[in-house]
Amino acid sequence: MIRFRTIAGGAAVSLTIAAAAPAQTLPAGPAEFAGGAVTVSGNVSVSISSHDDIAFFNYTDYEHNALRMFRAAVSGAWRIGPRLAVLTEIRSEDGEHVVPYAFYVRARPFAHVPFDIQAGRIPPVFGSFARRSYRVDDNPLIGYPLAYQYLTSLRPDAIPGNADDLLLMRGRGWRASYPVGSEYAAPGVPIVSAYRWDTGVEGNFASDRYDVAASVTTGTLSNPRTSDDNDGPQVAARVGWRPLFGLVLGASAAHGEFVNGEIENQYHPLLGDESYAQTAFGLDGEYSRDHWMVRAEWIHSRWTIPQLGTPLVAQPLTATSAYVEGRYRVTPRWYVAGRADTLTFSRVTGEHLFDGQPTEWDAPVERLEFGAGVYLQRNLTLRVIVQPNWRDGGRVRQRTYPSAELAYWF
Amino acid sequence: MIQRRFVSLLVVAAAIALWPAGAGGRAAAGTIRGRVDVKTPLAPEPSRPDVGALAMPSTREPMDRRRSVVYLETAPRAAFDTREEPHARMDQRNESFVPHVLAIVAGTVVDFPNDDRTYHNVFSLSKAKSFDLGRYETGRSKSVRFDHPGIVRVFCDIHSHMSAFILVFAHRYFAVTDDDGRYRLENVPPGTYTLTVWNETIRGDAPKRAVTIPEGGGDVDADFSVR
Repeated sequence: MIRFRTIAGGAAVSLTIAAAAPAQTLPAGPAEFAGGAVTVSGNVSVSISSHDDIAFFNYTDYEHNALRMFRAAVSGAWRIGPRLAVLTEIRSEDGEHVVPYAFYVRARPFAHVPFDIQAGRIPPVFGSFARRSYRVDDNPLIGYPLAYQYLTSLRPDAIPGNADDLLLMRGRGWRASYPVGSEYAAPGVPIVSAYRWDTGVEGNFASDRYDVAASVTTGTLSNPRTSDDNDGPQVAARVGWRPLFGLVLGASAAHGEFVNGEIENQYHPLLGDESYAQTAFGLDGEYSRDHWMVRAEWIHSRWTIPQLGTPLVAQPLTATSAYVEGRYRVTPRWYVAGRADTLTFSRVTGEHLFDGQPTEWDAPVERLEFGAGVYLQRNLTLRVIVQPNWRDGGRVRQRTYPSAELAYWF
Repeated sequence: MIQRRFVSLLVVAAAIALWPAGAGGRAAAGTIRGRVDVKTPLAPEPSRPDVGALAMPSTREPMDRRRSVVYLETAPRAAFDTREEPHARMDQRNESFVPHVLAIVAGTVVDFPNDDRTYHNVFSLSKAKSFDLGRYETGRSKSVRFDHPGIVRVFCDIHSHMSAFILVFAHRYFAVTDDDGRYRLENVPPGTYTLTVWNETIRGDAPKRAVTIPEGGGDVDADFSVR
């Protein structure tokens, strides 16, 4: 093909390629120190939404609203050697105290074996969302999945004396109180906390097709801790499989002592050496191709708590949550995303409440979240979502929240 | 008859288009050559600390940030003749784009084969060319045609440490430096030009200098130092 460009003036044209607007105007990559041994990156996000001081659908274990949050985080990696590094992330939410979200040592004992050990405040091996939730660019929406955020009425440091005590707190997970244990009202726990990571040690073996990870930590999925409070560690494991390009499937399990040791000690003559644990199973999957990305996760958790009085709290208490989320990039800058989410509970039978009929021990919740995002820059994203929630109990049974978030990372 | 007249017109048009630039083709073309010495420390661009990972990051091919592009800021008329649709290639290999710097003429189709062991995506939000090839697996390749001059930054939305530059020129008088920083611009018609250097580490004004190819052609040396 012969193409001939007519140039005005005929002889020459001025090219200003060097002066062309650069693609990035904010820092786009991490900062380096100590000759590259230390790298530091960060992210800042601001989300706004309507006030919610009555329904509490999006409150987190820090008593903050996930849809109305200012978050600033700094991550750092210190590569001590080719097979040894220290990683940390410190975070502040809503400008309050700074929390060491992650702080651990990563080591690869054998140079040619893809086996790594991490010790300290470590990323959870269970499921998939909690490991990626810290990255503001990896959540296509603003809210978190119910399993990782929604506060059930269960607490590790305070327990119901009977089934009616438990049913009384139904749909009030943001501020539950029970007659046994801590006398103060406090938030309950989600199935898996994505807002705190647990403390312990984990190992991970990875190959082209499989990942196998296992950990021993002080807390549980619901209640990650920096120090043990019940002499019972949690053991968790996940097997990941990549059967074909773009598809990742995972299966997880975890088991650990849940109830605070002080309660167990206080009622030891009555309870004996029983174990009061959280046990959870999870399945997760992700498939991406072209401009699509779809993720799904199913988590089933069971807790055993002391049965102190009648009507007895049926054992175990279970909660099951599942979500499907997807993202489609419409153009290089714009994408649309959505998530469908559900959280259900097993039934207990009280005496005075709900006419003595079997009733879910906490109010089931359903949630949709859909919206759109635009990459103002590669590392500067604006998202707008709408999130309707339905709850079969509590003071407010239905509430829809609009929210917008500006997120920047480097 | 009409067909014969049309063919004659085409022959005349082609002859005009292919007529050498400069003084009716009598002037000899020259070569501009030299070396770009990049003084800035060129450590590979670091990865973000992957705090959520359960394993050491995989090894990746270091970015070759030494590469500079030397080009004529003002180019002769013949520079804008393009007689074929050129192709270029930017691989995805060991979680890097290879080459890290690619210089092409407008109208070039660039292939982006995935030669890595993992899924990749190629996208750009640059004004000169905005595109998103989506995610695709090993062995597949997708292509983009670059029609407008400018700087195009290329990224992978799965691996944030992957980035590359594509410099799109309206003419063909440009060269990417080699491992030693050397370059050659050949077949430059006689005339005086502004020679410019681009390197990703340059902040502020790009180094420039005037060079003259004499009527008789020949080699002209032009070295640069970039800080």
